[in-house]
Amino acid sequence: MSAPVIDITDLTKFYGKARGIEHVSLEIGEGEIFGFIGPNGAGKSTTIRILLNLIFPTGGSARIMGMDVIRETKKIKRHVGYIPSDANAYASMDVNEFLSYCIRFYGKQKDNHRIAELSSLFELDLKRKIADLSMGNRKKVSIVQSLLHSPKLLIMDEPTTGLDPLMQANFFELLRSENLKGMTVFYSSHILSEVQMLCKRVAIIKEGKIIQLEDIETLRKKQLKKVFIEFGDHESKGNFSVPGIESVIAGPDNILSFMYSGDINELVGLLAGRKIVNLMIEEPSLEEIFMHYYQYNSQS
Amino acid sequence: MNRNLFLKEMRRNAFSLIIWMIVITILISLTMSVYRMFVENQSKIMGMMNLIPKGALQFKGISNFNDLFSVLGFYAVNNIIYMMVLGSIFAIVLSSNILLKEEYNKTAEYLLARPVTRSEIFVSKLVVLFLYVFLLNLVTALAGLICMELVKNEPFSIRAFLILSLYTLLLNLLFGAIGLFISTLVKRSKPVTTFSIGLVLICYFIYTVSKITESAAKIGYLSPFEFVNVDVINPAYRLEFLNLLYFTGISLLLVTISHRLYNRKDIYT
Repeated sequence: MSAPVIDITDLTKFYGKARGIEHVSLEIGEGEIFGFIGPNGAGKSTTIRILLNLIFPTGGSARIMGMDVIRETKKIKRHVGYIPSDANAYASMDVNEFLSYCIRFYGKQKDNHRIAELSSLFELDLKRKIADLSMGNRKKVSIVQSLLHSPKLLIMDEPTTGLDPLMQANFFELLRSENLKGMTVFYSSHILSEVQMLCKRVAIIKEGKIIQLEDIETLRKKQLKKVFIEFGDHESKGNFSVPGIESVIAGPDNILSFMYSGDINELVGLLAGRKIVNLMIEEPSLEEIFMHYYQYNSQS
Repeated sequence: MNRNLFLKEMRRNAFSLIIWMIVITILISLTMSVYRMFVENQSKIMGMMNLIPKGALQFKGISNFNDLFSVLGFYAVNNIIYMMVLGSIFAIVLSSNILLKEEYNKTAEYLLARPVTRSEIFVSKLVVLFLYVFLLNLVTALAGLICMELVKNEPFSIRAFLILSLYTLLLNLLFGAIGLFISTLVKRSKPVTTFSIGLVLICYFIYTVSKITESAAKIGYLSPFEFVNVDVINPAYRLEFLNLLYFTGISLLLVTISHRLYNRKDIYT
């Protein structure tokens, strides 16, 4: 197996006494599209900022392509593209000027063909001043600049904010095509449907700690079921306070819904003898799985 | 140094430099244009000046009122305000923002994602700062020289003029180094322009107070203005070694510390 593209070991960052991240460990393989999900303030941006040497860790280490993110940051960045969450480029430049400025850092001359290809995909007007662009258009500029030098690794922090659905679709298509050419993708987002659509593996971060690191498919198949039951008679929520049943919600008309993570036969056993009008067991969405892990971890 | 970043920075601040050059040149020209009228009314002006406490003029570094009537003495006194104070404000505003601007404009994320080390960023911006301060001093000194040539009644010492210009450059560069140092201490990304300008004015105020108040003479050493010798008419006028050491030593020390701090700074946007 080839060395991981991103190798994070026990990474910790405190801002004074405030927690950033604690003991984060991750390995991301070559050619992976890796999802990094968690709500705002969970530590996603902190992790990314350490990888890019914007901030320094309090403890632990991180390597990209086998190189230390602090000591060998310049070498690393030759192969890394980055889309920040805030798409604030140099306001006084026009788009073309900004893209030319970006590409010159890689010792390359402006590749008009590549710029034309990417800007036409996102319907970007190269002559416009960045100051005059909308948030969505600035995001497009940010995406284009990150891919101009054909990076081996693309790190993204909430990349779709401000993009309309059509542009999002173009963006995902572009990511898939670049990934097929070998580009590894580190996708940080709180929008689970996007992660679900693109990523093969995902880490869930909560309050600075990784609480789950799984293949998306494994996460789905982990016997976690979403159960809806309509009873013929009133059933109290308390009757379902048993191991394996989480997030019980009592709805109208004697309906109960919950997440179930145990043996399905035990559930059938629990329901035996009760008057059931309707029963539905389905695969939960990633969003529901995510919320489940969040609540589960909060309780534990 | 990174050439791409250096060229971008040179372009980015060019408009501001040109404006400062124009403004200071106009101020110097306007002031020097009244020199002849000033000399023609020497006796009346001397009469008025004798009414002013001696210390009130001493703060301008001129020990003898008569020196004000030589073209170089007149230029030197006005040079304090135009080039020493305004030039230092230019230098500190530029230097305190040159690194910090990337943070509060949120462009640091783009810059630091490029294959460029922090040292290269620091040095590229430092060279821009030095060149800008040097160019401002060069252009305004040339403007002063031309003005003096146009209005002079008698020859003046070019050597003394060059020493005064060098003192001015060193003072401006020192404030440039102070601005850079302040910017590396700022933890959260916000402009420090007002604070920086205030610092120059406070230093000038301390210098002024120390000159006009005998009992406060020693506090003048807290201000870099104290180490600029503007007594250009004095035949013994020269570049003092200790003053030169003060300016270059503190500037280099602050730049070195700033470099180290910037290399370890957490960059927030």
